[in-house]
Amino acid sequence: MTAAKSLLAADAHTRRRNAAETRFRAYGLAAVLVGIGALVLLLTTILGNGAGAFRQTYITIPVTLNADRLDPAGNRDPAEMATVTTFGYAPMLAQALQQHLQAQGIAMEGIGPRDLMAIISQEAPAQIRAMVLQNPDLLDRTLELEMLAGGRIDGYFKGRVTLQSAERDANVSPAQLVLAQAMADAGMIETRFNWAFLTGSDASGQRPEAAGLGVAILGSLYMMLVVLVLALPIGVAAAVYLEEFAPKNRLTDVIEVNISNLAAVPSIVFGILGLAIFINFAGLPQSAPVVGGLVLTLMTLPTIIIATRAALRAVPPSIRAAALGLGASKMQSVFHHVLPLAAPGILTGTIIGLAQALGETAPLLLIGMVAFVRDFPAAPPEGLFDPASALPVQVYNWTQRADPAFVERAAGATLVLLGLLVTMNLIAVMLRRRFERRW
Amino acid sequence: MNVMQQVEAAVTQTAPKISAKAVDVFYGDTHAIKAVDVEIADKMVTAFIGPSGCGKSTFLRCLNRMNDTIDSARVTGRIDLDGEDIYAPRVDPVQLRAKVGMVFQKPNPFPKSIYDNVAYGPRIHGLARDKSDLDAIVEKSLRRAALWEEVKDRLTAPGTGLSGGQQQRLCIARAIATGPEVLLMDEPCSALDPIATAQVEQLIDELRSRFCVVIVTHSMAQASRVSQKTAFFHLGELVEFDDTDRIFTNPGDHRTESYITGRIG
Repeated sequence: MTAAKSLLAADAHTRRRNAAETRFRAYGLAAVLVGIGALVLLLTTILGNGAGAFRQTYITIPVTLNADRLDPAGNRDPAEMATVTTFGYAPMLAQALQQHLQAQGIAMEGIGPRDLMAIISQEAPAQIRAMVLQNPDLLDRTLELEMLAGGRIDGYFKGRVTLQSAERDANVSPAQLVLAQAMADAGMIETRFNWAFLTGSDASGQRPEAAGLGVAILGSLYMMLVVLVLALPIGVAAAVYLEEFAPKNRLTDVIEVNISNLAAVPSIVFGILGLAIFINFAGLPQSAPVVGGLVLTLMTLPTIIIATRAALRAVPPSIRAAALGLGASKMQSVFHHVLPLAAPGILTGTIIGLAQALGETAPLLLIGMVAFVRDFPAAPPEGLFDPASALPVQVYNWTQRADPAFVERAAGATLVLLGLLVTMNLIAVMLRRRFERRW
Repeated sequence: MNVMQQVEAAVTQTAPKISAKAVDVFYGDTHAIKAVDVEIADKMVTAFIGPSGCGKSTFLRCLNRMNDTIDSARVTGRIDLDGEDIYAPRVDPVQLRAKVGMVFQKPNPFPKSIYDNVAYGPRIHGLARDKSDLDAIVEKSLRRAALWEEVKDRLTAPGTGLSGGQQQRLCIARAIATGPEVLLMDEPCSALDPIATAQVEQLIDELRSRFCVVIVTHSMAQASRVSQKTAFFHLGELVEFDDTDRIFTNPGDHRTESYITGRIG
């Protein structure tokens, strides 16, 4: 006979079990902390790099639009004025800047005309030219014009470029930065929120300050439109048929397994498929949102089908029995009772599928969406066939460029993409809350 | 002659409402119902009793072809409703189920308003010409299900918010609203407390005046309280079918006697 054990002292076995449980909890907590830490690190890095893209530096100086130079024919005909290229405008701006600086008494030590011009973005002459061509009456007037500052000057006011880094930089000199600081002190340079980043189109590698996401955002939205219009009805119809109507036999088993497999196919394979079928075989245009949308539809379909089937399966069979017992047809029981109850799950699945599609890059590279596109696509439906970019592709594109200012732009674009994804997920959560019913 | 005897005397003179001959049911390879013959009379309550898995619910579900919804189920034999074969190829089960209503074991109101629950059947069968007509059908059905007084002020409230007993009476009202001739009830009180059970049992007794009621029950006491005829099923066979009084006082088969005295089941 063993002695009676006291409840007040834990025996060795119990102590071991308790220790194992404590250890397991610690592992779990550590895993969660690692996850949260990675997320925080990611977000702070992107925010730190990308926040600057939402602010932009502008220079405001009075410029006299000299009609002798900009309209040599003197008839104010925009078609003829267009023969004057941006090279006709750039010296005028440089001259205006020099005169204004002299008038303000700001010293320009060690700065030649070329260096002075580099303070203004190369994009500025094009902006002024477009403005003049649109409204020739502006000629021969002196206007307070706002122009983009050069990329390095912009970087200086955002802290990316410093006097120390400028000494090692062939593109900017410390003297230029000193001058820019003096101009800012005189109220000529201002840094403020950058709407053009969200609404403008992409710019060449020398003009990061002018690059915007407008075309990419529009292209992504067009693609989401195509995906939503195609994938939701096809996916839901397929899932309803498979779950509620199809006989359970070998063929439907094969179909089911293949749908699950399709969800695991690498996305680049869908890109090859899209290139072969939609562009080479069907002859649809390259870089077009409609092709991107079709490829992403193929990718999203399995997600929507699987989510819809799970949602349908979660509807209690008693609801179907109740409807059938009242003499409802199979279709009436599905459309009047089962589908409304499954709607929150279907919507959530759809939005998750859309969010996946929104962030997808690889298949779009193959169908030519990585191209440099400056012109906005037209309004749908014609615009779906115009060339456009897409947000993730624009990020990829910008990270390839040499100028460090594009790193900031790429991170900013990532923030926009993340913002859209978070918004979509919030909508999914809200729809779920709104439509969820108890039974 | 008391009331019940009068009813029974009237019934024996008329043709049966439902008559089943040599009905067999298979679930895949399982032989669930074996050669069942039964004649169910109109305007009375017929109870199916028997131990779990004896096939009483399966047989009940043959009467409105709910077994059709199970892929592996196969029904042979003949079941007539008013002399018409309900398994004839030309019969649409949807029409049949409008005539043969069903109430399930667990109350299963739709997650909609009380009004919409009752109005659903008349709507899909086009029984109401306009809104006031539909209102009248809903009120009549809820009154017959003895629920009107309790819910008349909150018809727009969700049906799932009612108590269990009220939900089951709502399901009965929903079944009545399509104007059926037969009401099938599959253990309608097994999920209810004793008070709700008593209410539903009283309701079943009242429904007898208008409908042919067939009820499956686990409780022998319930069968003896509400039914006039009782069928005892055992291992897929119909062992005995007779007046309820006789089944419970003087059963003809030793298996029935063993079951009602609690030795099997």
